Amino acid sequence: MALKWWLSASALLSSMTILLVLGFLLQSSWPLIQQQGATFIVGTEWYPFESLYGMLPAFIGTVWSVTLALLIALPCGVAAAILCAELLPPRLRSTVRFAMELMAGVPSVVYGLLGMWLLLPLLESQLNLLTGRTLLAAGLLLALMILPTIMVLSEDAIRAVRQSQRETAKNLGIGWDATLWRVLLPQAWPGIRVATLLATGRAMGETVAVMLVVGSIDRIPEPFYNFLQPAQTLTSRIGREMAEASVGSLHWAALLFCGLMLATMAVAISLLTHRKVAAV
Amino acid sequence: MNSQHLLARDTISKGIVWLLAVPALLIPTIVLCYIFWQAAPVLDWGFIVGTTDGAGFGVSDGIFAQLLGSLLLAVMACAIAAPFALGTALYYRTYASPRQQRLLTAMFNMLQGIPPIVFGLCGLVVLVNLFAWGVSLISGAVVLAMVVLPLLVLNTLATLERIPHGYTEAGMALGLGNGAIIGRLWLPRSWLNLLTGVLLAMARALSETAPIMFTATVFSGVVWPDSLFSPVTTLQTHIFYLAQESNDPQVISIAWGSAAVLVLLVASLGVLARLLYKLGED
Amino acid sequence: MVADLTQADCLRVPAQSLEKPSSNMEVTALQVEQLGLQLDGKVILQDVSFSLPTSGVTSVIGPSGAGKSSLLRCLNGLLTQWSGTVLVDGADSRQWRGGWDRLRRHVGLIAQKPVVFDASIRANVCFGIHGWRQRRRADELVEISLRQAALWDEVKDRLDAPAATLSVGQQQRLCIARAVAIKPAILLLDEPTASLDPRSKQLVEQSMQRLARDIPLLCVTHDLEQAQRLAGRTIFMCDGRVIEEGESNQLFSQPECIETREFLRWSVCDCN
Repeated sequence: MALKWWLSASALLSSMTILLVLGFLLQSSWPLIQQQGATFIVGTEWYPFESLYGMLPAFIGTVWSVTLALLIALPCGVAAAILCAELLPPRLRSTVRFAMELMAGVPSVVYGLLGMWLLLPLLESQLNLLTGRTLLAAGLLLALMILPTIMVLSEDAIRAVRQSQRETAKNLGIGWDATLWRVLLPQAWPGIRVATLLATGRAMGETVAVMLVVGSIDRIPEPFYNFLQPAQTLTSRIGREMAEASVGSLHWAALLFCGLMLATMAVAISLLTHRKVAAV
Repeated sequence: MNSQHLLARDTISKGIVWLLAVPALLIPTIVLCYIFWQAAPVLDWGFIVGTTDGAGFGVSDGIFAQLLGSLLLAVMACAIAAPFALGTALYYRTYASPRQQRLLTAMFNMLQGIPPIVFGLCGLVVLVNLFAWGVSLISGAVVLAMVVLPLLVLNTLATLERIPHGYTEAGMALGLGNGAIIGRLWLPRSWLNLLTGVLLAMARALSETAPIMFTATVFSGVVWPDSLFSPVTTLQTHIFYLAQESNDPQVISIAWGSAAVLVLLVASLGVLARLLYKLGED
Repeated sequence: MVADLTQADCLRVPAQSLEKPSSNMEVTALQVEQLGLQLDGKVILQDVSFSLPTSGVTSVIGPSGAGKSSLLRCLNGLLTQWSGTVLVDGADSRQWRGGWDRLRRHVGLIAQKPVVFDASIRANVCFGIHGWRQRRRADELVEISLRQAALWDEVKDRLDAPAATLSVGQQQRLCIARAVAIKPAILLLDEPTASLDPRSKQLVEQSMQRLARDIPLLCVTHDLEQAQRLAGRTIFMCDGRVIEEGESNQLFSQPECIETREFLRWSVCDCN
């Protein structure tokens, strides 16, 4: 009886966690929604002292940095996975893979340190920028962080393609190139898709590393595709300002709303992941 | 289509793969080496066991307090999360209806995707302020427990799934109840793999910074927390503050040193987990 | 550079067909001389020599572990660490113009278990054709190939259905159609009916005999009755060596070697 009680209680409690998290975030950011309606969500101005809490700049910053990271990390990561799964000798392969698994576990704050003291000076000197703290820096750093994840999961997916399929393609003599595009990648695609979605989630929610390099300036890049300007992401805003906001103030509520936006986006991504996996 | 053309296509494709993949494999390696190269000047035994008094902004002796704080938080987080994770996974395998199973899976997949900082925010709202626990060890541990919970649950589920069905059926045929099946069949068989999961969760807890930034840590001045309700210092936040606040190269080399120690710690947990996993496989 | 290539092409293509043995020799599509193979220090094949005529079925029989499958994999270059000479249409397979991939388009191989790609039936038949435009315009070829594999009537109404929905027997015939679609000059079959039901087996055999009118087939089988039904020639292998080779009728009715007699009678072979 005690056993059943323990099991049921822990199942109930741990599955409630997500609802509790979302609930508390909504409840704490409610004052802001009540006072300003939903308009602040698409507002472009964020000046806490004037009670302007436009979410758009940080949202765009988040989308931009994640997109940049994916644009870099996805081709490179999948190529590394292909190299590892198809072209390297088995012994080298397991070494490389193990190294990548370790890299995937490197704490994000270490990447932050790297970004701040290796990447920023490099960017400043190479691109002649006033400050290296830009969307580009955030994108590059995030790319470095999610690359091992994409590589390891994509490699799993590629290696899961049955050997008989490779051999049959070989028997038809269609060549390495066609085998890759017409046999391996289509079959590994569900796995690569999941890897990408997971990496997107991770890049989106990354805080300390991004906050050290993104510049934390609340404005939409001008023009909007200019990634050589300082910007702000949802996470870096929370990280920067949470300690300054007084408990219960509108500013506090606005920051919690940023958290709610992040959580909602994360839930959306995981629903997407889940649905796609189930559909395959 | 002639064969030269075909061969050329293969060569080009392979070339592109190498071109994209080599930086992808080399840059992380170089970066890792760079960390240790930067850390080398400060890394010695005194650095690890020394304590800093805080007045010197991290410049003085060592990072013992931070190391201790990190480990304490990680161990506590796992200690809090593990019983829940085990209970949940066992519930999934024993009592849950297929509907509940689907629901639980969906919940934990979602929970796993939630950015750690969101848990930090919740901890700040609920634990630090609502429960008035303050910025403390216990707040941080609970927040980290939430962060590692989905990892532990999914890991435990995967472990339980690997137990052959016939094994369980043999137990049921003997008339064993759920308690006996869990206690006498499942746990003895898979405890090594469960431990692997806990180690991985610890590695994860050690590498998180954002969730404990507002809930558990202060920059310095604490060596050993007096109680559950006093704040701690950790390696992660130490690196963060040093990187952010200082321009002094000497201070930054302390940050590199701490980063190297943290990376080594997390990596060795990963290696240990891998070894244990292999041991459990046999 | 371009001129060079074209010239080489022009020179080489007739050269290959010219190298076909002239009238004073027996006409062969495939000639194997002293083929040997070692894998991980273990001798798999030794001193294997035989030849295939330009059409007809040649069956390879022998106990399991005799190296029959390995032989096929050497012939189409899936295994390359063998020694000896393999002449395909008179040209050395190691020096094949365009490399192994090109050779494998010339020497098709059907595996024991059917392997279909995760695509429609039509796409599977066209899988070996180069270029998506050519694949799109291959309707006629698809029909011909499927007819040759005795599958057309069963699938003509659902060419766009996933290939995985076919039965195993149909999948195997699909594999044959897929191999035939790239017009190989020689077809190797590795126990093509081993995992099939009797009806599918019959259809596959029919299709093989139809194909054998135009091209040579080398069919590994463990089914002695099948080898007899397929007629043509039979090669008996044991322990990596060719023990006896001849017309099927001859070999089955009056085997010369004692090992062959033993094998035909007891299905065991002791050739050491």
